[in-house]
Amino acid sequence: MAGESNIRTALSNPAGWQSLLSFSILALAYLAAFSSRLFAVIRFESIIHEFDPWFNYRSTHHLVNYGFYNFLNWFDERAWYPLGRIVGGTVYPGLMVTAGTIHWLLNSLHITVHIRDVCVFLAPTFSGLTSIATYLLTKELWSQGAGLLAACFIAIVPGYISRSVAGSYDNEGIAIFALLFTYFLWVKSVKTGSIFWAGCTALAYFYMVSAWGGYVYIINLIPLHVFVLLLMGRFSYRIFVAYCAFFILGLLLSMQIPFVGFQPIRTSEHMASAGVFALLIAYGFLKYLHTHLSSLTKSEMRSLFFFAVAASAAAVLMAVVYLTYAGYVAPWSGRFYSLYDTGYAKIHIPIIASVSEHQPTTWVSFFFDLHVLVCTFPAGVWFCIKKINDERVFIVLYAISASYFAGVMVRLMLTLTPVVCILSAIAFSNVLERYLVDDTPKVHHIEDESEDDEEGDKRNKSKDLYDKVTKTAGKVRKIRHEPSGEPESLGGNVKTIVVMAVMMILMMFAVHCTWVTSNAYSSPSVVLASYNHDGSRNILDDFREAYYWLRQNTDDHSRVMSWWDYGYQIAGMANRTTLVDNNTWNNSHIALVGKAMSSNETRAYEIMKALDVDYVLVIFGGVIGYSGDDINKFLWMVRIAEGEHPKEIREGDYFTPQGEFRVDKAGSKTLLNCLMYKLCYYRFGEMQLDFRTPPGFDRTRNVEIGNKDISFQHLEEAYTTEHWLVRIYKVKKQDNRVRLDHTVRKTDIKPKTKFTSRKSGKRKRGFIKNKMLIKKGKRPSSKNKKPSRKTSSKK
Amino acid sequence: MADCRKIFSTFVGLSVVFFLLVVDSPALGVKKKENALGDKVQQLMEWSSKRPVIRMNGDKFRQYVRAAPRNYSVILMLTALQPQRQCTVCRQANDEFQIVANSWRYSPSFSNKLFFASVDYDEGADVFSTLKLNSAPSFMHFPGKGKPKKGDTFDIQRTGFAAESIAKWINERTDVHIRVFRPPNYSGSIALGLLFTLIGGLLYLRRNNLEFLYNKTSWGIGALCIVFAMTSGQMWNHIRGPPYAHKNPQTGQVHYIHGSSQAQFIAETHIVILLHAAVTFGMVLLHETAVSKGDVGKRRIVTLVGLGIVAFFFSLLLSIFKSKYHGYPYSFLIK
Repeated sequence: MAGESNIRTALSNPAGWQSLLSFSILALAYLAAFSSRLFAVIRFESIIHEFDPWFNYRSTHHLVNYGFYNFLNWFDERAWYPLGRIVGGTVYPGLMVTAGTIHWLLNSLHITVHIRDVCVFLAPTFSGLTSIATYLLTKELWSQGAGLLAACFIAIVPGYISRSVAGSYDNEGIAIFALLFTYFLWVKSVKTGSIFWAGCTALAYFYMVSAWGGYVYIINLIPLHVFVLLLMGRFSYRIFVAYCAFFILGLLLSMQIPFVGFQPIRTSEHMASAGVFALLIAYGFLKYLHTHLSSLTKSEMRSLFFFAVAASAAAVLMAVVYLTYAGYVAPWSGRFYSLYDTGYAKIHIPIIASVSEHQPTTWVSFFFDLHVLVCTFPAGVWFCIKKINDERVFIVLYAISASYFAGVMVRLMLTLTPVVCILSAIAFSNVLERYLVDDTPKVHHIEDESEDDEEGDKRNKSKDLYDKVTKTAGKVRKIRHEPSGEPESLGGNVKTIVVMAVMMILMMFAVHCTWVTSNAYSSPSVVLASYNHDGSRNILDDFREAYYWLRQNTDDHSRVMSWWDYGYQIAGMANRTTLVDNNTWNNSHIALVGKAMSSNETRAYEIMKALDVDYVLVIFGGVIGYSGDDINKFLWMVRIAEGEHPKEIREGDYFTPQGEFRVDKAGSKTLLNCLMYKLCYYRFGEMQLDFRTPPGFDRTRNVEIGNKDISFQHLEEAYTTEHWLVRIYKVKKQDNRVRLDHTVRKTDIKPKTKFTSRKSGKRKRGFIKNKMLIKKGKRPSSKNKKPSRKTSSKK
Repeated sequence: MADCRKIFSTFVGLSVVFFLLVVDSPALGVKKKENALGDKVQQLMEWSSKRPVIRMNGDKFRQYVRAAPRNYSVILMLTALQPQRQCTVCRQANDEFQIVANSWRYSPSFSNKLFFASVDYDEGADVFSTLKLNSAPSFMHFPGKGKPKKGDTFDIQRTGFAAESIAKWINERTDVHIRVFRPPNYSGSIALGLLFTLIGGLLYLRRNNLEFLYNKTSWGIGALCIVFAMTSGQMWNHIRGPPYAHKNPQTGQVHYIHGSSQAQFIAETHIVILLHAAVTFGMVLLHETAVSKGDVGKRRIVTLVGLGIVAFFFSLLLSIFKSKYHGYPYSFLIK
């Protein structure tokens, strides 16, 4: 009885409703975030996607099998043959440790799951957590309603889903959660100025450092925030405490990651944080002096203070510049420098420029990934600037810097997405809260009742995923802003129209998100699917077919050469040694493989011998029309090889005189005879795909190939998969006797005298009568005949 | 006297014969050749010390670039710089070529093995006809020995004519490594300096009244400008350098929107900026009318206008997106 009355009072209490609602909405957002990422698992199977995740999976497997310390000391001799790779020291271990911990926890609770399933479902789990972190951050920045809206946005926004579908087991999946959680804790510690929150920020930052190289963004954005606050004259001891505690703890913690090591004190990327730290200390010190030197007048004090701060800022800057020039601090690395100078990578680091996700972003991909949010989030920026405070400075800086980076590189759309969600949630909630208020004068208790009713209705509706966003915004807004003295009402009709229209747009957003997720971002790329005219589906499982063939039929220690894209997959699925892989740290090694692929067979064989290659693997899409194959990537191989071996490989040789890249008869001779071409098109000239096309018709490039007569001298075909997608060749051992590939030259010069063996006939050795006359150094040839006669005549 | 003359004439005849013999004799011929070569090199050195790119006409071209005794390479730019030719590409290519030539002229490894020359169409049309060229600009390399081969014509279509790629090509053809030294572009830094001095001056003049620094509207507009520029793909334009719009040569129709989702025109991004700004403006308007105090009727109209702006411009944006992203099924208000 007592309990029931408690519930009743709780239900009639708006605060109780509010927390219940926000809890259930967050739970639903979590669920939506999780389930909308499962398209790939449902359509295909629970499988690790793409390329990098295979490495992560393989190292997680190692971690689970051999323990943490063995993982840290793991030297992988199966990668980068013959160099090997120290995995423990060259990897951000956060992802593997997280998955390993979850696996250990579940197993110790006797829930036996395979580590692969943990890996596959890690990203969706963490995107649910991301939406909660977004809620917390937005709540600190603006209001609870905006927070719920932001949580719903980020749960389904394609810009984030693109990196976190089930099976894409990659650093970004957990890093965005760590990023937002660090930002939330930072905003919290700026607000409170407590060491506790600053310490938590440092811990979250530590997690971020262990998870993703993008932590550099945090360690530059937070100092920038502090610096701008100083410029705005918003210095306070809250900021002082928060930043100092965060910086020191964060610095020490980040240096615990083996891969990061001493970078935080040795590289330019981290110098901004140290500089701001020094500046903040100087500023604090001057403030302290300020309180003790009261003898000066106020204006004198101000100018003195100003100049002292400016001088210390200049001193800090000079110190950093000096240290960089003196070589104590490494200058900006190419990868970061290319963000500033956008032409840099194209000229100097072709391997970075070759990756499609490092290209600049068109407006279409912004719209594709963010839909309505991309055009409404500037309104959120506007509202934040209009009602600025310490933490909103942060979100504005975040928005500006992230939109710049996203413009430079498609990949960094990922860091922009959360801030776009937050700010457009602020914009929408700011608008909706004005139009969802029922401000017709009413008797108070009636209003309460009707509201409860409405809530009930909406909760029933909340089963529907797409309505969720709508409901969120409306509900909470209403509750919070009821009592404020509103200006005259606009009237119910206008409000309803506005609310309906906005809901309509948000609903379109939800539909768009689902469509994009289902169509663009849910393909595992290890397994391909093609659709027939009647809608039935063909699964093309060639990759796994080839990798399992390698696993079953080749020697355990055989070495497979392929382009670097497939290195991780070969190591992960076939468990064979690779020469290069997706961790592109050694450009010259990659260039060597590129050189082998773009040379002719004899030259390539020398390189392959030098590298101990046993098998060569190429991806060929000409039969099924798969566009991501090696011939289409071939120019990058040539470019990268040319960068290291400009004498032997020239890009110009692979083009027709008109400057075209063609594989048909008009293509350049060098291209038509290089190893990659021959590997891809070996025996393809005999194959007629359908009756309308000639034999050897390449469906990807829509041409008939130019060189159908391909034979190998040093290689032999080992395996070709069902749809010819993967072709594997065995490199033959060296011949015992090198056969000449031409017949021995025959001459028509007949010997003047019939050949008689010296051991027979008159001149046979042992006869004393006609003893052989041996003259050393002179052969009795036609030229020497005369002088010899002379000498004889003289005799 | 007659004898004398006869003797003289025979002497002359003999001497002529002798002279002819001498000329024919190989040793002297080599010497002559060397002299000719030395003269040519000296002449070329003299010219190139005056200006790094030697301007040539048909005669000079035949004498110094085509004629046989050479031990130097010539990089020749064939161009049409006269204003009436209206070749803007030529001018850009010329600038880049000058940069390479200057880098070579003032590099420590400068020698008489490599010269830069140019022929303008209006000064040496015959050169174009002998080389069977009908387009400008083009770059050719004439090696020290033998005739130009296939790779001795620089492929502008594919590699562009940036100074770096020209230098790389020269390095390929002649083994002479030229480190391209661009004269630092002072215009940018001057503009920046001017801007800073202007801002500084303005701040100094108004040092007693710095209230405008706290004007949130101007800061807000500044921030929004950056955001709009970035989200509409201006960075892509900056890196890829697309045309402003595409004019169909057959119909004369001008396309402002690129047909594929992989590329965009500059005009298109400007349209997108306007659409984004309009939607944002509509959102702000919706908020402002709701909180402002004033005549209810007027505010109602403004509200509906704001809503109309948001809905209309958003659906316009969506329809442009749909036209670019083939197979996208959804639209709103506008097809």
